[in-house]
Amino acid sequence: MDRTSNPKLSDGTLLSDLINLETREVKMRALSDPELFELEMERIFAKTWVFLGHETEIPNKGDFVVRDMGSDSVLMARGADGEVYVSLNVCPHRGMKISTHDVGNTMTHVCIYHGWAFKPNGDFIGAPVEKECMHGKMMTKQELGLKKARVAIYGGLVFATWNIEGPSFEDFLGDAKWYFDTLWCRTDKGMEVLGPPQRFTIRANWKTACEQSASDGFHVLTLHRWLSEVGPYRKPGSEGGGGDLTPEMYGTEVYTAHAHTMRCIELDRKIRRLTGKDPSELSIKEKLEALPPPGITPEMLPEVLRRFSDDQLRVMAWRPPQVGNFFPNGLFEFVYIPSPDGVIGVMALHAYVPKGPDKLEFVNWILAEKDTPPDLKAKMLRLGVQLLGTSGMVEQDDSDTWPHQTLAAKGAVSKHITMKYQSMYENNRLEGWPGPGDVGDGFTKDDTQWRWWEYWYELMTAEN
Amino acid sequence: MLQQLLEPTPLPPSIKANRIPSGSDTYNEVLDFLYDEAEMLDNLRLGEWAELLTKDLEYNAPLRHTRSTSQFDQTYSRNVQHLHENYGSMLMRVKRITDTKSAWGEDPPSRIKRLVTNVRVYRIDDSDDLKVESYLLLTRSRFDFDYFDLIPCVRHDILRREDGALKLARREILLDQVVIGTPNLGVIL
Ligand code: FES
Ligand SMILES: [Fe+2]
Repeated sequence: MDRTSNPKLSDGTLLSDLINLETREVKMRALSDPELFELEMERIFAKTWVFLGHETEIPNKGDFVVRDMGSDSVLMARGADGEVYVSLNVCPHRGMKISTHDVGNTMTHVCIYHGWAFKPNGDFIGAPVEKECMHGKMMTKQELGLKKARVAIYGGLVFATWNIEGPSFEDFLGDAKWYFDTLWCRTDKGMEVLGPPQRFTIRANWKTACEQSASDGFHVLTLHRWLSEVGPYRKPGSEGGGGDLTPEMYGTEVYTAHAHTMRCIELDRKIRRLTGKDPSELSIKEKLEALPPPGITPEMLPEVLRRFSDDQLRVMAWRPPQVGNFFPNGLFEFVYIPSPDGVIGVMALHAYVPKGPDKLEFVNWILAEKDTPPDLKAKMLRLGVQLLGTSGMVEQDDSDTWPHQTLAAKGAVSKHITMKYQSMYENNRLEGWPGPGDVGDGFTKDDTQWRWWEYWYELMTAEN
Repeated sequence: MLQQLLEPTPLPPSIKANRIPSGSDTYNEVLDFLYDEAEMLDNLRLGEWAELLTKDLEYNAPLRHTRSTSQFDQTYSRNVQHLHENYGSMLMRVKRITDTKSAWGEDPPSRIKRLVTNVRVYRIDDSDDLKVESYLLLTRSRFDFDYFDLIPCVRHDILRREDGALKLARREILLDQVVIGTPNLGVIL
């Protein structure tokens, strides 16, 4: 492959032949081409910030978990100084995997092959038989540490990048930060994972999951229709029973320069049902008391009210971000699920880890605020497991769809047909919408997902 | 506190002295229960299967981690699990398949064989319930794919006699895989 700013595949196809920026189409071939996969690993996963986990997974010094940054295994560990470090999980001696465990605690990671030892921060401690200097004298100990990534912690989330001199994490988040703060930074103590993540394999290209994660609203109406047939969105008998998911499609959609997107779904109907009052006659505080954000109780609200601007609070009480993504491979859900116990919030995070052109690993974390009362945490966790992730009644249907798209990307004819993103907002910004970024108002559209592809293309065609 | 709320009730131990021998009437009755259950599920008789469940059902599948030999007993995680169900949520899973036309994750359904082996039955001290351990190999064939997804696991069940018939009161599914090798656990184990 010719790796210029318009890469040429070995059969002569240019990357620019696979995407039509005017008509908003992407050829299926782009989904699962092995040469493009290699390039994605270099130009996207080795360049952007990649989400790896949550710092509460490794609370103590020496705690570690093994994670993936694109196609590379990494150690995410808490060092002797209490900081979080991310290092390549590959021995600088001859390339053995350093930790073959998924989780653990140690201040000394010893490679089982020839015994080189490393600190949780990746520093080289030494090789066995110190006086014989088994590692030779050509390189210093400083040079023989594990390859270290640059780390950013945001609201407890751990991100890392190999792009040591590249843009800052704040720059990467861009306009999304204004909204993300209302999700990840709502309380003084912050959030925690309720346990380790679920992990499972899907025989599908990572982009099938990730382009959907960039706020595909339409698929909910059909692929997740069961939600209104027998699931939590079935209307109460008093409202005629049966189900219609279209009301859930209205709200505001936000898409930002670096392809972090979100669907801010309107809560007015839920608030009207809960209070019997017209939401426009309620104050922001009254609305938040009637329907607090997921994991927040009315008792926790004063803290939330103190932490945010009036504009942010207005969005949180009216059209909070409920589902969305962070580029390249993260998805978040902060959803309000009707249940016999009232509306229960569920908070989950997914990473769709690329495992070759035709395989992805779905990693699912379930979270709550540290201060969420235990009985509410337990309900959130149960509902999260029942709806999302490995056995989730919603996400089973997603995971069964992506393999078919991946297969279609291989067909001699079907690889040339295009995925279309042509449903567009016409008059974008709702009058008075307080948040930044590109904004669409009304029924869901394709603009968020198209932004995802635009940024994918921008990175894939960037000069090194 | 949270741990107590999240984790399933611990299962009673399998005590050697309480082992009910293979071939005894009770053992055979349990074996028939497991075989019949597998047949119902393999043939999508889910409504019938739901009638085998007690109202206080606990149905769980912990996560698994790769750890060292000395930490073998610490390889399960029971706070976040792959399945964390009670009677109501199991019925919802059944209804999703039987009462909708859009349970796409299993429509069209997989062809499944539930191969049940290594069955051991124990009396439980101070209780009339039975503790049953079995191996399950679930083979799942989906669409025209030329491979099978395999889900090997051990099941620890509590069976209880209600109105003369055995019912499933508890099930813990101990999966072998750390990273589950099938796109979802939309099938009943
Ligand atoms: S490969 Fe790790 S010590 Fe040789
Ligand atoms: Fe979905």
